[in-house]
Amino acid sequence: MKLDNSKTMNRRQFLIKSGWLAVGVTATASCSPIYSSLPALPSTDGPEWADAITWIQIMPNGKARFYCPRMEMGQGAPLGLSQVVAEELNLDQSDVECLLPDTQQIPRFRMTVGSQSILDFFDPVSRAAANLRENLRAMAAERTHYKPAQIKDAPGGFVLPDGQRKDYTTLVTDKPLLLTETRSIEDGLKIYSKNKNRNRRAIGNPWKHHELEAIVTGQPLYARDKSLPNMLYGQVLRPAVYGSKLINADVRDAKKMPGVTAVVVDKGANFIGVVTEHPSQLNAALDRLKLKWREPKARGQAELNDRLNVMRVRREDKFEHSLVSQGQMRQKPRPTHLSAAGYFETSFAAHAAMEPRAAVVSVKPKSTEVWCGSQDPFFVQRLVAKAIGYASDTVIVYPQRIGGGFGGRVPCQASVEAAILSKAVARPVRVAWDRETEFAHNYFQPRYSHYISASATREGVIDSWQHDFVSSPIITGLVPDNIAWIVDKVVADEGTARGSLLPYQVKNQSVRYSDIRTPIPIGAWRGLGSAPNTFAIESMIDDLAKAAQMDPLVFRLKNLPTTEKRLVKVFNRVAAMAKWGRELPEGVGLGIAGAIYKGESYAAVVAEVSIDATDKNLRVNKVWCAQDCGLIINPDQVENQIAGNIIWGCSLALKEQITFAAGQVEQSNFDDYEILRHNEAPEMEIGLIVSDEKPTGVGETALAPVAPAITNAIFAATGKRVRQLPINLESVFEVSETKG
Amino acid sequence: MKIVINNKQYPVPKDLEQISLLDFIRDTVQLKGTKFGCGEGLCGACTVHLDGEAVRACQQSVGDVVGHRVLTIEGLADTRPEAKYHPVQEAWIEESVPQCGYCQPGQIMAASALLNHTPNPSDEEIRDEMSGNLCRCGTYPRIQRAIRRASKDRYYETR
Ligand code: FES
Ligand code: FES
Repeated sequence: MKLDNSKTMNRRQFLIKSGWLAVGVTATASCSPIYSSLPALPSTDGPEWADAITWIQIMPNGKARFYCPRMEMGQGAPLGLSQVVAEELNLDQSDVECLLPDTQQIPRFRMTVGSQSILDFFDPVSRAAANLRENLRAMAAERTHYKPAQIKDAPGGFVLPDGQRKDYTTLVTDKPLLLTETRSIEDGLKIYSKNKNRNRRAIGNPWKHHELEAIVTGQPLYARDKSLPNMLYGQVLRPAVYGSKLINADVRDAKKMPGVTAVVVDKGANFIGVVTEHPSQLNAALDRLKLKWREPKARGQAELNDRLNVMRVRREDKFEHSLVSQGQMRQKPRPTHLSAAGYFETSFAAHAAMEPRAAVVSVKPKSTEVWCGSQDPFFVQRLVAKAIGYASDTVIVYPQRIGGGFGGRVPCQASVEAAILSKAVARPVRVAWDRETEFAHNYFQPRYSHYISASATREGVIDSWQHDFVSSPIITGLVPDNIAWIVDKVVADEGTARGSLLPYQVKNQSVRYSDIRTPIPIGAWRGLGSAPNTFAIESMIDDLAKAAQMDPLVFRLKNLPTTEKRLVKVFNRVAAMAKWGRELPEGVGLGIAGAIYKGESYAAVVAEVSIDATDKNLRVNKVWCAQDCGLIINPDQVENQIAGNIIWGCSLALKEQITFAAGQVEQSNFDDYEILRHNEAPEMEIGLIVSDEKPTGVGETALAPVAPAITNAIFAATGKRVRQLPINLESVFEVSETKG
Repeated sequence: MKIVINNKQYPVPKDLEQISLLDFIRDTVQLKGTKFGCGEGLCGACTVHLDGEAVRACQQSVGDVVGHRVLTIEGLADTRPEAKYHPVQEAWIEESVPQCGYCQPGQIMAASALLNHTPNPSDEEIRDEMSGNLCRCGTYPRIQRAIRRASKDRYYETR
C-alpha cells in the first residue's frame, strides 16, 4: 500500500472546512448530548499578524500589558511569551503585566494544545513587540527632531544622543498605546529575542512565574474558586453506561428536598440536572431522582481488546493507513540476518489532572458570562452559546488558570452544564465535577496494540522493519457521532500515528495502522500517540541490538542517519550523564531510549532500575534526560516540564490503566486509578542542549522515551522483555527468579 | 457551634454541622486556597493543620473540629509575623516548585506540618510523609528540594 496523496488532500480540505485540522487536540460534542447536528468547533486558526498587534499595549505608566493568547495550566507558556515581550521592549519582568484575556479582549486564538505555544507564538509575539518598540522610537523621533536611528534603547524606553532619557511613559500619556496594522514597521525590523550576539535581558533567564506567590498563598486562581453573589449550585447526572438514553425521569421526590431550587430535565437532550441553594444539598436531591435509562449493549474490556487487536487486523490484512512503504518486505527474514519480532500493548488511560473541572456561569436575558478553565475559551464560548440558544458574541468567557490540562481540558463540559442550569433558574450557577465524574465522563487515551517484526545484518545494520498497529482516532476522537463516519473515511488520524515514524534509517520498511472507533470517548492525552508508539519502537530496537549482540546505545547510534544530528547529540549527552556502560550490581539495569517529538524536539532518556525478586520490589532509581528544544526561553520552566514528563512516564509505565466492564469505566478515584506518588518518584538529572535553533515544544517531548527506557532497563537487568504497559510486576519477578 | 480557622471564630449553622470541613472552608468561609482533589482522603489537596498536625479537610466534619485550631494556607504566613511568608512558602518560591499549582497549597501544608514535628527530616522521611499528596504535574523533585531548603536555611533558626 502506498500513501495516497489525493486522499491526503481531501482529508486536509475536509478538515480545514470542518474546523478539525488541529495539530494536537480537538473535542467534543459527543461528550454532552445536547448539541444539534451542526457541531461547535474547536479553535484551530493559526496566529495572524493582524491579531498579534492586539495582544500588547504600552500603558501610560510605561509598562506593557500583554494579553497572552495562550492558556496557563502549569506549562508556563504565558511566562515564556512575557519574556519575549520584555526582551523586545527592554523591560523588566515587573514591567510586563501578563493577563489571560477574556473572549472580548482579543480576537479568537487557537486552542492551547500540542506544546505549540512557544513554537507558534514566539514569532508573532516577538514581531508585534518589536514593532511596537519601533513605533515608540518613531514617536520619540517626531517629538525631538532626532532621527530614529540616533535614538538608542534604554531600559523602559530610549536615550537621546544628548544623553537625555525618553522613557515610554513620557511617550504614552493619556491612553494605552496599541498598534494598528497601518503603523506596522517592517523594514529592517530587528527581533532582539532571536539575536544570539545580544546580551539578552529576558530570554534564557529563569524568571519566576508571575502567579507563583498567589499559588503558594492560596489565592483564588482556578474556576473552582470562583464565586458570585446570589450564586446557586448545580450538578448534572450522567448515565454510567456510555450511550444510554434517558427514557423516564420522576423528579417529584427530588424537588421536595431541602434547598432544591430546580430540577431541569430535557429528555430529548438526555439532560438531567439539579440546582440547590447550598452545595451540600446536591447529593441528597440527586439520590431522590428516579431515572430510567435505556442502556445500549454493554461493552467489556475483552470486546474492546478484540476490536483493538493488531493480530486480528493483520489476519484480516486490512490496515486502513500506510505511513511508510519502501523497499522490499519479505515474508521471512533472510537466513543470513538476525531477526526479532514481538507484540506490544499499552492501556487506556485518564488525564487525572488534580483539579476536577468546574465552571461558574451567569446567563442573563441578553448576555452570558462564563468562568472556567479551558484550553480553548473560544470553543467554550461557542459550545455554551449553542447549548442555550444564544449568539456566540453575547457570551463572554473569562478563562481561569487550569489545575492541569494535559489535553483533557479542551472543552470544559461543566461550563455547558452550568449554562443550561443558570438559564433555567435565571441566577448564576456553579457546577463543580467531583473526582468520580472526572474519571467516568471525560475522554481517554486509547489502548494501543502493536506488532513489529524486524531484521538486522550481523554487523548490526537494521535491514527491515515492519510495524503494524491499531488504536483509536485521537485528534478526531470526539467528533460528533453524526459526522464520525465520514471523518473516519477520509482521515488518517495523525494524533494516533504520532511518534510512529522511525528515526532510524531502514531501507526496507512498512508502517501501517488502523484507527478504529469504539464507543469509548477518546481525545488528546499528553503526547498523544508518541508514548505508546515510542514504547513499541524503542523496545524492538533494544531487541535487535540484543540479537546483534551490540550495546543498545552503540546500536542506536549506528543506525541513526547523519541527518539526525540532534538526536545523536542528546543520546551521547544522556549517556555521558548516566555513565552509560558502567558496572552495575546484580539486579540493577540501565536502559536507554530516545524520540523526536513532532519532528522538531529531541529527547533521550536513561533509566536505572533495580529489581529485587525476593522482596518483589521494582524501583526506578534514577532517570537522566537530555533534551534539545532549540532556543531556551526559560530554562527553569523547561526543566520543570521535563521533570513532569519523567514522572508522567514512570506513572504510565508502572501504574496507569483504565478498564471497562459492562460499558462503564471501572476506576473512579485515586485508589483504583493510581498515579505515581512522591515516594515512587525517581531521582533525576536533566541536561539541556544550548541552541539557537527555533524554540520548539517541551510539554510532551521527554515523555515518550521514559517508559521504554525503564522497560529496557528491566530487560538489561533480567532478560525479560516487557510487552505491556503498565508493567505487570509479577511477570517481571517470575523471570528474574528463574534467571537468578 | 463555633469553630476556629486561622485564629478567627466562625459560627456553624446547625444544618452545616455534618458537612466536611473542606466544604465549610471553601463554600461558607470562602477561603479557596484549600483544594478539592478527590473527596476521599486519597490525594492530600485539601490538607490543613489541626492543632499543628496535617489532616485532610475532606475527611473531617465541621463538628469534629470544634475546640481545635484549624490553620489553612491563607493563615500560614501569619504564623511567622516577622516575615512576609512562612519559610516553607519562601522555599517554594525560591525553588519555583509549582506547575499548575493546584496541589501546592496541600503540599505546603503537609510540608510545614512535617517540619513542625521533624525540623530536620531525612530524605526518607520527606518521601514517606509527602506521599499522601499527589501532584499530577510531577513537581516531586522540587518539593524535596524546597523542603530541604526550608529545613536547612531557615526553619531551625526561626522556630
Ligand atoms: S480532597 Fe481530601 S484528600 Fe483529596
Ligand atoms: S502542580 Fe499541578 S498538580 Fe501539582
